[in-house]
Amino acid sequence: MAVGVLALVGTRKGLFLLERDDDRRGWRVDGPVLDGWGVYHAAVDARDGTFYAAANHVVYGPTVQRSADGGKTWERSKKIGLPAWSGLTVNAAWHIAPGRPQQPGTLYLGADPGVLFRSDDAGETWQPNPGILEHPTRKHWFPGAGGLCCDSIQLDPGDPQRMYVCITSAGTLRSEDGGQTWLPVNKNVAHDYLPNPYPDIGQCVHKLLLHPARPERLWQQNHFGVYRSDNRGDSWERLDGNGLPTSFGYPIMIDPKDPDKAFVIPERSPEYHYSPNGRLAVYRTRDGGQTWEEMSDGLPGQAWAAVLREASASDADSLYFGTQSGSFFALAEGERWVEAARHLPPILSVEVTQWSR
Amino acid sequence: MVQVVVPGFLAAQADGRRHFDVEAETVGEAMRALPAADLLFNERGEWNRYLNVFVDGRDARERGGPACPLAGAREVLIVAMLAGG
Repeated sequence: MAVGVLALVGTRKGLFLLERDDDRRGWRVDGPVLDGWGVYHAAVDARDGTFYAAANHVVYGPTVQRSADGGKTWERSKKIGLPAWSGLTVNAAWHIAPGRPQQPGTLYLGADPGVLFRSDDAGETWQPNPGILEHPTRKHWFPGAGGLCCDSIQLDPGDPQRMYVCITSAGTLRSEDGGQTWLPVNKNVAHDYLPNPYPDIGQCVHKLLLHPARPERLWQQNHFGVYRSDNRGDSWERLDGNGLPTSFGYPIMIDPKDPDKAFVIPERSPEYHYSPNGRLAVYRTRDGGQTWEEMSDGLPGQAWAAVLREASASDADSLYFGTQSGSFFALAEGERWVEAARHLPPILSVEVTQWSR
Repeated sequence: MVQVVVPGFLAAQADGRRHFDVEAETVGEAMRALPAADLLFNERGEWNRYLNVFVDGRDARERGGPACPLAGAREVLIVAMLAGG
């Protein structure tokens, strides 16, 4: 049985499945499945191999879809919705996070307008999290151009009660009681456009990742900088000097083997979402964010690319990202990027998993 | 009995069928009888904003929207928003 890497590449017009055999020679592109759906995020549940997708359509609305046969056939979850008393309706499904190994059938879904759903029946039905929906600071949250999206959900592997969500623009919220209550944890995280540039709530977190080997360490790419926290978000250190061309970007990647490594893909500025100086590059830190170095070998010499917040992934062996220009890149041996696919529809999301067939 | 005609994308979510014969007294009832009805309404039961519905060629919104009566009607045509480049 061959073991390789499967990349779930969500695009504006469906989900593509890119498979790399373990000989690393090349990638096979299948798809699109979920044809015509904007796949904001798709993930494989490692507990049972089910595929889940946060799939949206401008006419037909937000859905969660799941496949138990490797993407061949898909079934929609029951309608996701919010209670009438809230005055809110679901605008988009953003991010799927399978639950803990000891909670089979539990999954989380981040959605616009700044809401978190939980399913305890393997994605058949979804219930909104009351602590997020009724959070006392909600009146201070405001949407960005992409909506009031809940785009990051991180579960602490060392504590079954601790988890984090990020909402644009509410910031990072941490729960210590399994999601019943949520504490904003945004100390020292800037929001440069506000009269008070360091508010308690309202930050624009583009992506947050927890390091699985050191779960008290969090990384975030923010609208206004790159940050690291070593105390579960109680305070943050800004890290975007010393080698990064700009502080702005969307995705962030980590090395699961090394908590001091992180990778970002800067863009020119909040007003100009493309590679600075026409040069697409990933920047790596190996010292916890104190210094950054460019990784562009194999990337195009000229590019004005945009990489969205869900459009990167990493595993123990490699890094992966996709552009809004429809190119999918993987880091090969020798730290050289390989363009594994091109001319896809605009890429919205990337996840990878070990895969055997 | 009225025949409901759905757009191609919606048909793709319903085993490829574009035509459905349903018993319904109103447009809303007819739409809820479709196999992909969850894609036509939000959680408040409101039509998705980019759907247009015509009953025998007349815009259903002019006749009560979901409450538009179907007595004597032959066809309900559901049209998705047109999008351009």
